[in-house]
Amino acid sequence: MLNQGLFNFSQWLDSLELSTRLHESYYMYNWVESTHVVALMLSLGMLFIIDMRMLGLTLTNVPASRIASRLNLPMMIGFTIMIVTGLLLFFAVPVRTTQSIWFRIKFVLLIAAAVNAWLFHKKLNESVSTWDNEPKAPRRLRYAAGLSLGLWAGIVTTGRLIAYDWYDCFRAQSEFITWAAGCMAE
Amino acid sequence: MDLLPFFEWAETSLLGSIGKSYGGVYAIGQSLHLLALALLGGTVLLTDLRLLNVVLRDVPSEQVAENAHKWFKVALFMVMATGIFMAAAVATRMYYNPFYWAKMTALVTGIAFVFAIKRPLLKRPHDDINPLVLKSVALASLVIWFSVAATGRWIGFS
Repeated sequence: MLNQGLFNFSQWLDSLELSTRLHESYYMYNWVESTHVVALMLSLGMLFIIDMRMLGLTLTNVPASRIASRLNLPMMIGFTIMIVTGLLLFFAVPVRTTQSIWFRIKFVLLIAAAVNAWLFHKKLNESVSTWDNEPKAPRRLRYAAGLSLGLWAGIVTTGRLIAYDWYDCFRAQSEFITWAAGCMAE
Repeated sequence: MDLLPFFEWAETSLLGSIGKSYGGVYAIGQSLHLLALALLGGTVLLTDLRLLNVVLRDVPSEQVAENAHKWFKVALFMVMATGIFMAAAVATRMYYNPFYWAKMTALVTGIAFVFAIKRPLLKRPHDDINPLVLKSVALASLVIWFSVAATGRWIGFS
């Protein structure tokens, strides 16, 4: 049911002229993809610095809350660029991407990372006054920072793997892959 | 000097053969390359945006530059190690790819810029340096490392 709905939606997107034009435009598509990758330096770069501060790996003599609050804006600008370019990349190749197991795993990891970030900031704001000048954050926040790094490593990896067609629906796949990728007969 | 024989050798080397034979290992190498690029970009942006007075204005720029440089070196090592692994598997194709050479030029420029100009300069107290010089160095650094990342992505398109 869900897979059928997603498939129909992706086919509708695919039928739009703009989707085809973006996909077939050598320069436009590649610029969007390049921007998506280069924005990693801003979004993930700032996230790495914040998480590493919590883990006591860098800038340990600067209050943790100062690092988190000052780098939040550039990080969010980076993530906004990534979301916009990511949506455009999806829009350019909607049918194959919808049925990509890597894209689906990436999407789940993105949701997990967003929930983790929300809980992390909530906990940070609640407790920071008691440990702000400590070189390391309390254990629970360190776990959240470590989890954040792990989740983003997974997001980058699955994002890169979308380009590979090993588990694409046009190939003969196991029942599990067919189900997980949501393969529908075209 | 013609480097083609070296690139042909690299492709048949153990490193080249592993990358060519095992698609999954090659893809993991690509992912690690991207993660290292993100860390490298984070350290470069942190220093340069601080020098431009955009972020962390209430933290001494010497402190930011010193901390960021430690992790810049780690990231640079990872970028280069994974980059060599990736290039070895498709070395002959890289030899004929103009974007590969553009990236190598940008990378060598970036490394020379950091270790010959930026780092020696930033080791001095920043108050003793003309603010215009600090800002020019930060802008040049951003342009160079952005070029490294952008040309790297375009290797795959040509």
